[in-house]
Amino acid sequence: MTAARVIGEVMVPFFAVLMCLAPAMTRPTVAFGVRVPAERAGSPVIRQERRAYLWRTAAVGACCTIAAVLLAGYGSWWLSRIILFVELAADFGCYALARRKIVAVKSAETWYAGRRQIVATDTSWRTDPPRFPVRWLVPALAVIAVTIVVGVLRYPDLPARLVAGWGGRREPKSFLAAFAVVAAQLYVTILWTGLMLLVYRSRPDIEAADPAGSTQRYRRFLAAFSRAVLTLMALVNLSVLLAALRNWQVYRLSGPASALPALPFAVGLLVLAVTGYRVGQGGYRLATRAAGAGGAAGGRGPAAGTDRDDDRFWKAGLIYANRDDPAIMVGARFGVGFTFNVANPMAWLVIAGIVAVPAGLVAIGAAAGM
Amino acid sequence: MLLSVEPDGPVPIYQQIRDRIVEAIAGGRQPAGSGLPSTRQLAVDLGVNFHTVNKSYDLLRQEGLLRLSRKSGAVVQRDAGSGPPRPDWTQDWAARLQTLLAEAAAQGLPADEIIGHCREALAAFAFPEGQPFALPEGQP
Repeated sequence: MTAARVIGEVMVPFFAVLMCLAPAMTRPTVAFGVRVPAERAGSPVIRQERRAYLWRTAAVGACCTIAAVLLAGYGSWWLSRIILFVELAADFGCYALARRKIVAVKSAETWYAGRRQIVATDTSWRTDPPRFPVRWLVPALAVIAVTIVVGVLRYPDLPARLVAGWGGRREPKSFLAAFAVVAAQLYVTILWTGLMLLVYRSRPDIEAADPAGSTQRYRRFLAAFSRAVLTLMALVNLSVLLAALRNWQVYRLSGPASALPALPFAVGLLVLAVTGYRVGQGGYRLATRAAGAGGAAGGRGPAAGTDRDDDRFWKAGLIYANRDDPAIMVGARFGVGFTFNVANPMAWLVIAGIVAVPAGLVAIGAAAGM
Repeated sequence: MLLSVEPDGPVPIYQQIRDRIVEAIAGGRQPAGSGLPSTRQLAVDLGVNFHTVNKSYDLLRQEGLLRLSRKSGAVVQRDAGSGPPRPDWTQDWAARLQTLLAEAAAQGLPADEIIGHCREALAAFAFPEGQPFALPEGQP
């Protein structure tokens, strides 16, 4: 039983639960990627589809988890990856089914006819911007520093052939092969920090019915979510360090204990999921603090309009493409998280960077290995 | 300051942004010397084209309400307490006001109601302390 295998098997029930709970994490005015007016959020079709989605995804999750457990002893490590893929595909099928029903009722009953559709913002988001929690980077960087120090100390005593990655393949001993783990840690750290910085510069999810209150909730959401992401980042680095220590023969584990390197990663995912569930997307599950909501003295009353029906910019309710919108990242429409504005060329530059860096590292590694 | 626009409404978005900022300045929510988001930031926040916000800010700059600089961004330059405007500006504005009042009169809104609406609007503005409020109470 290797750490890679444990991660694969833990992912199946983890995503089963996550996909079941995704509608509960999403604000009620966006039902399965469909924008609905607040008064329609409790309409029969939405309640019915949410119930149906819950049962369907629960069934999918249970079947896939049972399959993963039964097949755990057979096949290769990639078997659990295939089960996970099937599970996610089936869950998105359930999502699409629910979405289609709601879209049909929404357009048949013209839910947005005669409504004043507005986009609201609170300029205090820019004049008093939230601060990125720089101190929360310390654990991740500390783990990288420990990895480098241990690696340098161990390197002279390493055998001629090294175990690479999570286990399995052996490569001739070289500086690059030994320190690929540090590159992986740096990549994870820089990637997630960079994406969170982009999110900090982007806009908050604001509800037209309560712009000041929702901006305030979004601040608390972003503070909690970014800390959870930075914690996950540190724990991923720790998982990589634990795997490296084994590859560098600092310790030896056998039996179930050999899955130890997967533990920090699993804990980090759990922390992120629990945080996401507690605050909800954009912080909609948080209660507004009564005091200090001074922004309500806006020129127009809070109920001057409904959130704009922006479904046309959301392909399948999941992919955001709005050419007029200069935002690179925006809040996701289903579950908790963020997504790229794929109509913005800058977003593709960022995606290209995310893909090119590991590809480049692998190429450098291959070239150096020759 | 809270700012909302109607992207699919009949009024162009740049005009709406400009109008909301003027209202916020008059209402004292955005006093002289206070900062506004940069054009790029406001465009991201409203999900509109960068040039749209640029156009609004440029209008406000031409009206002398906003100062734009590379260093300090967009800063409100005037408000109700900044003293009287240029005489030619008042003339232009009076002409536009006449049109606006004529619209109400043409639709048959009684004069006292028109005055009532004016009073209501003015009551929401942040005039400096001690400035006389010369509209007669009750009678047109």
